[in-house]
Amino acid sequence: MKENEKTTKEILAETVAARVRTPLYNPAALEIMRKQFDDWMRSTVREKDRREWLKTPRTVLGSDIPREMLYTPLSQPDLDYHEDLGNSGQEPFTRGIHANMYRGREFTMRQLTGFGSPEDTNGRMKFMLDHGATGLNILFDIPTIQMYDSDDPFSQGQVGMSGVCVDSVEDMDILFKDIRLDEITVSLVTHYPSNTAILFPMFLALAEERGIPWEKLRGSVQNDTTLEEVIRSGAEFIAPKDCFRIQCDNIEFIRKNVPLWNFITLNGYNLREFGTSGVTEMAVAVANGIATLKEMIRRGYEVDSVADRLAFFWSPASDFFEEAARLRAVRRLWYKIMKYRFQAKNPRSMWMRCHVQTSGVSLVQQEPLNNVIRAAYHALSAVLGGAQSLHVDSYDEAYSVPTAEAALLSLRTQQILQEETGISDVVDPLGGSYYVEAMTSDIETRILDEVDEIECGGGYVSAIESGQLHRKISSYFTNQQKEIEKGDIKIVAYNRYRSDSAPPPINVFRYPEGVEERQRDKLARLRLNRDNGRVVAALTALKEACRKGENILPHSVACARARCTEGELFKVFKEAFGLWKPPALW
Amino acid sequence: MAKKIKVLLAKLGLDVHNRGIITVAKELVDAGMEIVYIGNSLPREIVQTAIQEDVDVIGVSSLGGAHITLGKPLIEAARREKLTYGVVFVIGGVFPPDDTIRLKEIGFDAVFTPGATRDEIVHSIEELVIKKTV
Repeated sequence: MKENEKTTKEILAETVAARVRTPLYNPAALEIMRKQFDDWMRSTVREKDRREWLKTPRTVLGSDIPREMLYTPLSQPDLDYHEDLGNSGQEPFTRGIHANMYRGREFTMRQLTGFGSPEDTNGRMKFMLDHGATGLNILFDIPTIQMYDSDDPFSQGQVGMSGVCVDSVEDMDILFKDIRLDEITVSLVTHYPSNTAILFPMFLALAEERGIPWEKLRGSVQNDTTLEEVIRSGAEFIAPKDCFRIQCDNIEFIRKNVPLWNFITLNGYNLREFGTSGVTEMAVAVANGIATLKEMIRRGYEVDSVADRLAFFWSPASDFFEEAARLRAVRRLWYKIMKYRFQAKNPRSMWMRCHVQTSGVSLVQQEPLNNVIRAAYHALSAVLGGAQSLHVDSYDEAYSVPTAEAALLSLRTQQILQEETGISDVVDPLGGSYYVEAMTSDIETRILDEVDEIECGGGYVSAIESGQLHRKISSYFTNQQKEIEKGDIKIVAYNRYRSDSAPPPINVFRYPEGVEERQRDKLARLRLNRDNGRVVAALTALKEACRKGENILPHSVACARARCTEGELFKVFKEAFGLWKPPALW
Repeated sequence: MAKKIKVLLAKLGLDVHNRGIITVAKELVDAGMEIVYIGNSLPREIVQTAIQEDVDVIGVSSLGGAHITLGKPLIEAARREKLTYGVVFVIGGVFPPDDTIRLKEIGFDAVFTPGATRDEIVHSIEELVIKKTV
């Protein structure tokens, strides 16, 4: 951040504070309530409860926000319905981004899929679609995520694990065999900016080869610097500033050429699962969002021409009401930032749209069926918070990627929520709860405070370069582990009510065999049959663009068309940008 | 005073998850051990560094499914260098239940899954070091 530049918190303090407030409760009523409350406290509440009036729940990935024993209007006496809540689909969007919310559009059931070869994952995707999944969410294998080819020595023994392997546009073609790219929304879990700049062009080249105009493609990529530079454990990193530049190159290119595509999913999920509170999770994603918009404005874009396609990704964990309140809080905060910090005009630019995935770290191996219950509560809190799309983790993910049976159960968990509980019929059912509203405001303040911490430290990219974020996370998860081992954080069947009897056997997913060999053969054929002159020319042009500072995407799309492989593009990035050593975590 | 136990820690292959191994690294330091953390590495690199650093223990972490396909080459590479006689091999991560037994058959002296506590890990390493070096 430049010196003398106001922080987001300072800007909001001036602009929001200048607005006229009309508190909901009248002073006379509050006076009566206060007196009644004091009397009740003396006459009815036990001394021990008075002493421990504030209690901080200890939960996996929880915050340290203390809770009152009973919430009343006195918990938030200046609540202003119009300013703080509004109706759904109305500023400040606390109650939801759409007026009719799930009555109008059900939450998208977008289960993660990915393992083995592109053929294997294509089969699982069709199975999920046949059972009512309404979107696709594709996870890539470890070498693909880390940007190495399946025949790289570093990929040995890991091809097709934790996701599907994709080395070139030809694998992308097999992955989407018999699936119409213009009829289904596709989330490509590309994780990193670098990876997005490599894999999404393969998807675009595939659409081209199938004669589908890019304007018709709908879906999202992740494209998040936090994921590449903070959360990832890896052998080779490019510097945060280069990574952030690629993130913005991706945004710029996709905005111009694939207008319905969500070009960034500001990632809180993986950061939180790595080890942060729900507050830090949101603060970092919001700080990235702010930095990104500032950069796009610097590149000459109007804020409204970019902000309407920003999406977020959150991790609802176990502190049920905090989780629902958190989504409402960040929705209101994002609205304020867009309106007052960036002067956005289009309401869509002010929407905090989000995908959520239930917390994987909260699942335990002991009595794995209990994980079904945990994930269902996480999902319920996210829907009460107004999420747009959902992935429910499978109970067997404490052991491996889910079996088809477990993946179906996760989809059924969502379908039961939607079809059997009546939850989609009323918008923001928790709105007006003294507890949830007070928590919403408290969390909003805390997120903004942590955004301020990042901005005062020099901004989002600096917070990564300097190790500020790495240190914060590392100290959080170390303490969390201690609290679990001490039993302060209670986990049923793990450190509470632990059973000594042998657990019933569970059916655990086994990876298909021979994927690596087949993928190597396929790559050998590809390298032999493609026009290698064209490959070299495309890679050279990409390297030039990296060095010159022009947008790299047109060049990486040319690489994808020429059948360059993923590893070949990553090599270009490493050579053009050089390597960076991330700060130590311990 | 007894010599500090020296532990080489590594992520096996390209696995992206390092929260577990970082937590363990800190716990082992607290327990008085010396840690050499080399991040994401292939079996051959792990064995070579272990020889150079003259460590007592090699601990690897795998949460991405490659615990057998990379764990086995690690032990084989270590055997070729005659490392398995004096050095303790431990592995931690997320594995299907049957694989805990398979990993022991392959040659790991201890296998830790997500339920393992600090005390279990520390005591197990201390005992194994005594057993293997005597």
